Parts: sequence; structure tokens; C-alpha cells
Amino acid sequence: MRRRVGVIGVGMSKFGKRDDVSVRELSWEAIREAFQDAGITQRDVDLVVAGSTAYRGVELYPAPPVSEYSSLTGKSPIRVEAACATGSAAAFTAINSIASGMVDLVLAVGFDKMTEVDTQTSLAIGGRGGNYEWEFHMYGTTFPAYYALYATRHMAVYGTTEEDMALASVKAHKYASMNEKAHLRNRVTVEDVLKSRVISWPIKLLDSSPISDGAAAVVFASEEKIRELKIDTPVWIEGMGYGSDTSSIARRGEWTSLRAARDAANMAYAQSRRSPRDVEYATVHDCFTIAEIMAYEDLGFAERGRGAILLREGQTERGGKVAVNLFGGLKAKGHPLGATGLSMIYEVTKQLREEAGPVQQQFKNYVALTHNVGGTGHYAYVSILSR
Amino acid sequence: MEGIPLHLRYAVPEKGYEKFWEGLTRNEIWGTRCSKCGTLYYPPQRDCSLCNTSDLEWVKLSNRGKLMTYTLVKAKPQGYENQEDYVIGIVRTDEGVDLMCWIRGNPRVNSTVKLVTDGKRVVGEILDV
Repeated sequence: MRRRVGVIGVGMSKFGKRDDVSVRELSWEAIREAFQDAGITQRDVDLVVAGSTAYRGVELYPAPPVSEYSSLTGKSPIRVEAACATGSAAAFTAINSIASGMVDLVLAVGFDKMTEVDTQTSLAIGGRGGNYEWEFHMYGTTFPAYYALYATRHMAVYGTTEEDMALASVKAHKYASMNEKAHLRNRVTVEDVLKSRVISWPIKLLDSSPISDGAAAVVFASEEKIRELKIDTPVWIEGMGYGSDTSSIARRGEWTSLRAARDAANMAYAQSRRSPRDVEYATVHDCFTIAEIMAYEDLGFAERGRGAILLREGQTERGGKVAVNLFGGLKAKGHPLGATGLSMIYEVTKQLREEAGPVQQQFKNYVALTHNVGGTGHYAYVSILSR
Repeated sequence: MEGIPLHLRYAVPEKGYEKFWEGLTRNEIWGTRCSKCGTLYYPPQRDCSLCNTSDLEWVKLSNRGKLMTYTLVKAKPQGYENQEDYVIGIVRTDEGVDLMCWIRGNPRVNSTVKLVTDGKRVVGEILDV
């Protein structure tokens, strides 16, 4: 990166079924917190990058209404989309706008109101998250079905079990119960997960992230701006890698790992000159429980096929070798697509600043990572942050 | 309040792919092969984007393969809500093409599969006892 970029403010709305607000109030909830956190106002903002998939909300072009409500009109010329990695795509755009030297202070805001349509419509929208003609049209794919194809293969090749996957859900719910902003705050047991309704075998209801409403906002600034504003707790972006893969899941050639995520991780490690061993805290994209296991492997926290061992041994719990998703993960914190990637940066920033309360991880070197996957591995972003 | 419903109607072009859709009524699975670089495309493409030519020929794929992975779909999307539960699989054909299909029979990863069509899609019948 040409110029160093840091995070100076973060905000996040409560995630959940938010029928008390439109996408405007929901987004402002996150933006207001990020502005207060950074100690800035709209006047300080050079550029706003909005991220939203918008397919499930009544507002199909939501960026202008959100900007207008938030008094940011005139500074918000773009909305980005990368399916479930939309929030990271907004961060990527914001970071590069600063790194290039074009602007000094950017607000990235991600939001989605996903509960404004019914579940069957939502499944039909997600099922188009591959290739309409060659997959959804002929075979009635759904988003859970896509990830189930990975789960079945991972089980057959590596001996991963449904119980292993359930452990990821148990962990997510445990930590979400301590997070006031999480969507699902109930605790669950392995047995609860195994007995829950089959959605697309081997994926069951409690292997799946919920359909959530939510927003998250991050204020990024150049190093010069951070000095000028006298910010004493910046969190630095050491690297942000990306990857992508085929629209057709059949053409991936393998169904136990996400190439896009591996590519993104390798790029981020190379940019930051870090290795998986340096990472003390990570948010991973656990939209389904199998995705958390694959993430451990794709990020190099475990060897291929051995991701479930980290769960069995509790190595990704608080105090573990690398603590993962202590805010509850997509699985239980919730997964409003446009917000998720930025809520990961929110989480990692809180952790690195040691503002995470009961779920604070202890750091030695203050290095953390975010892993955000779009679609069923169509897009991926991995970022490495430090204090 | 109730928002105004949005009804989207789509007209999807089939031009250039008639052979594929007709094949689905005759137990035939067709891909395309670039006559210049030899790349085999499935799903079929009219253009070879690797060597910038539109000179592709239709190639019929093998009707046998191996089941790579599968899932039993219980929660169905709009458009498939009246279907019985169905199994989506990915099969690797004898020539090494990986394709999506529905699976009939008792699926297991690595099962041998015979590929047929039901008029609308490719269907893999499990041959293992």
C-alpha cells in the first residue's frame, strides 16, 4: 500500500429482526457510534463508501436514502456489492481510496435489511448466488445447499462429523450470549444442533446463520490525518488480500476448501509479512458451521482436513491459541450481508484496543485478522490489523 | 405497513444453446469445445474467452461418472416449493467434467453414477447396490 491507513472509529447497530427501524435509522445507529468513537462529524468526511446487497429490502437503491438521513449527501457516490463479503468490499474501496492519496478520511458503512421479505423468497434470492441458468433454474439450489455440498465432501474426505460442526454452533451461541448486539443470544448444546430441523443435509437449522437486519460503520484515515486529529488508539491495516472463484460451484474442482479464501489469506500474509502463527485473534466467516472449519484450514490455523481438531480442543476459544469470533460469529451475532465485513473490523478493533469486556482476548503482539467470504466462495477478503 | 410487491418477470435468451436444452429431452449432455485451443466448456459457452474465438463445436459428454458430493434439500426456494425433497449432486464424468445434477437412489460420495435427463435437467442414477 502506498500510504498507511488506520481505523479511527467503529460503530455497529444491534443485529436481529429490526422491524422497529427502516434501513435509514438502522444505518445511522452504526454511523453515529462510529463518528462518536472517532470524535469526528460529517464535515471531516471526504468520501462515503456504502455496502449493501439490498436484494431483500424494500429499498433497492438504499445508499442515497441512508446518506440523506445521515446528512452525508454530496459525499456518497458509490455503493459496492460482493454478496456476503459486501462489507469488506466497502472497506477495500475505502482503504484504497486513502492509500492511493486521493482522500484522507473515509466512512465505510454496510447495511442490509434482510427480513423485509419472507424466508422462501430469501432462499430463492440466495439460491441465485451461484449461476442462475446452469444451477438455480435447473436444480433449485439454495444457499444452505451450496455449503452442504462442501460439508458432505469434507466429511467424506477428512472424517469431519456433524458433531464437529455442531461445536462451532455451540461456541458461537455461547459468545453471542455475552454480546448485547447479537441476534441470537440463547445458548445451545451439541444435541440441540443435531436435533434441529434439517435444512439441506447435513446442514441443519442450528448450523446456519440467521437472516438478520443490521448495519456497521468504520472510519478510516491516512496516517497524516490520524496525527492531525491526535488519535491515540489507531488500529492499522497491515494488509488486505482478495480472491475470487467460479460462479458455478461444479467448476471449482474441489469441495473441501475455498480457493478464494486461500488466495486472499496468502496475499494478506505477504503484504503484512505475517504468518498464521502471528494471529492472536480472528473473525472468520461462519455463515454455516462447516465454513468455520474450512476457514481454519484456509487461513493456515490448521492443516487441510484438520480444522475440526481446533474446535474439539478448544483452541479457538477465549485464551486459546487463536481466539475466533468471540462476539458470536455470523452464526449467532447475525449476518446482515452488507454489514458483516465491517462488523468484523468493529470486533477486531474493539479487541485490539482492549475494549471487549467479558470476551477480551489477551494479546502479546496485538495482531488480528478478518476473513470474509462472499457467495459460496465467489469472493473473499482477508485483512490483517494491528495496534 | 405493507410495501408494494415487486413482481419481476424475466425473458432469458437461449440462442446458441438450443442443442443443450434439446439434449435434456434425449438423455444427452452437451458441452462445447474450442476448435483452436481444445478447452472443453461445461456449462457450454458460445465463445472461448481464452483464445478469443467463437469457433466452438458441440461435444456430447459421457453418461457415466462418479459422485463427488451431494445434499438433500429440505428447505426449498420459491419456484421449487411444490417439489418433493430432492438431492443435488456434483458428478465427475469419465472425461473429467464436473457437473451438477439431481441424484436418484441412495447417494454416497464416490458412488458410480449413470447420467440421464428428465427433460429439464441432468439426473444421476446411483448404480452401486
